[in-house]
Amino acid sequence: MSLEVPKLAAAVARHLGPPGEISALSRLTGGATKSTWSFDALVGGERLALILQLAAAGAAGPTAGLVRGSNDAALMRAAERAGVPAPRVRFVLDADDAIGEGHATDRVDGETLGKKIVSDPRLAAVRPRLAAQCGEILAAIHRIEASEVPFLSAQGPTQQLALYRGLVDHFDHGIPAVELGLRWVAENLPAHPRTTVVHGDFRNGNLIVGEDGVRCVLDWELAQLGDPMADLGWLCVKTWRFGGALAVGGFGRREDLFEAYEKASGVVVDPVHVRFWEAFGCIKWSIMCMLKGLGHRRGARGNVEAVAIGRRIEEPLLDFLDLVTGRE
Amino acid sequence: MPATAPEPEVILAAAIDYLERELLPTLSGYHRFQTRVTANVLAQVRRELALAPLQENRERGRLEALLGHSGDRDSLSRELARRIRSGSIAIDDAALLDHVRQSLVEALRISNPKWIGE
Repeated sequence: MSLEVPKLAAAVARHLGPPGEISALSRLTGGATKSTWSFDALVGGERLALILQLAAAGAAGPTAGLVRGSNDAALMRAAERAGVPAPRVRFVLDADDAIGEGHATDRVDGETLGKKIVSDPRLAAVRPRLAAQCGEILAAIHRIEASEVPFLSAQGPTQQLALYRGLVDHFDHGIPAVELGLRWVAENLPAHPRTTVVHGDFRNGNLIVGEDGVRCVLDWELAQLGDPMADLGWLCVKTWRFGGALAVGGFGRREDLFEAYEKASGVVVDPVHVRFWEAFGCIKWSIMCMLKGLGHRRGARGNVEAVAIGRRIEEPLLDFLDLVTGRE
Repeated sequence: MPATAPEPEVILAAAIDYLERELLPTLSGYHRFQTRVTANVLAQVRRELALAPLQENRERGRLEALLGHSGDRDSLSRELARRIRSGSIAIDDAALLDHVRQSLVEALRISNPKWIGE
């Protein structure tokens, strides 16, 4: 995907003011379903440090219900009002910009690479505090008024199981480990989950971390109304530990996450309930990998990152087995 | 192909070696990441060429023991998946769990040996 500088300059000038001159444009690492660009823009006499996020055309995975464009921006603004460190939206692209679907936000300095967050010596002092900070931030996300974000779709555990069951049936490849996982999920559905705004992809890799802790929570397009414990479980999925030894994002302990969440939300955390979502998270991620792989079978042309994800289906399936058979 | 031509695994080893030892140290940012991923997927292909035939055989043997009849690996695996889904085999069945785990471990030996500590 490419980004034309004159179009970007015109968009900045239209939305924020002239001259809109662009400098230091670079494509950032990562982003399999979208592209992320960093640039500086001259507005009035001020040089703004900005990020542009563009949705990729034809992204793989269950894309129906993705929060995009102006909704994505509205959600991040609601999150900011609830006290969540979310990206500050500067403008939303529209049809006149002729760039695609996306938005520009303030650029926040810090580390986003999961592997660095679990291992960089510069973050050693703050690392033990990250799990508790994630608990506090999640409590704030779960406090966002649902009425402020009416475009979010309801995705409780039963709907999510039906969604992933349907995807697996649609492709009909009959993978024993996936079937085993879906059976386990069906037999262990939480009885009476609460329903709140959930981030949907709150994990190491979607956080900007600095020496002072979590500075920003990224990637809101999977947000939905659902069981808040889903966010806690997803954060513990082994894939997002990036080789780190600890359960929470590779950087922290479950107890610290739960305790901080309870303190900030007043809601008691049941570890078995969170474990359900961690286990289901493994199955969901393996199905997402499967979809990514299926999009890049014979005859298709894909980028190397997408192809690599299509080869990761077994990792979370083994993690699932370890989790539910008590090996972890 | 004449017997004088370098084999696929030799070609892959040379390509991976160039990417990892020569190109990668000169790169940063987006292209460093993409090149890292490229070297990784080529290494997967290299391991698949070496390991897949043997693994397929072993998996078929386990499936035959589990299901009680013979067949090719893919149709046996699909049959097992159907049995799990219909509930005709319990998901805490020790032989089932053993087979599923073994199959995942073997697949990871190709796609990502580090995941299983190898």
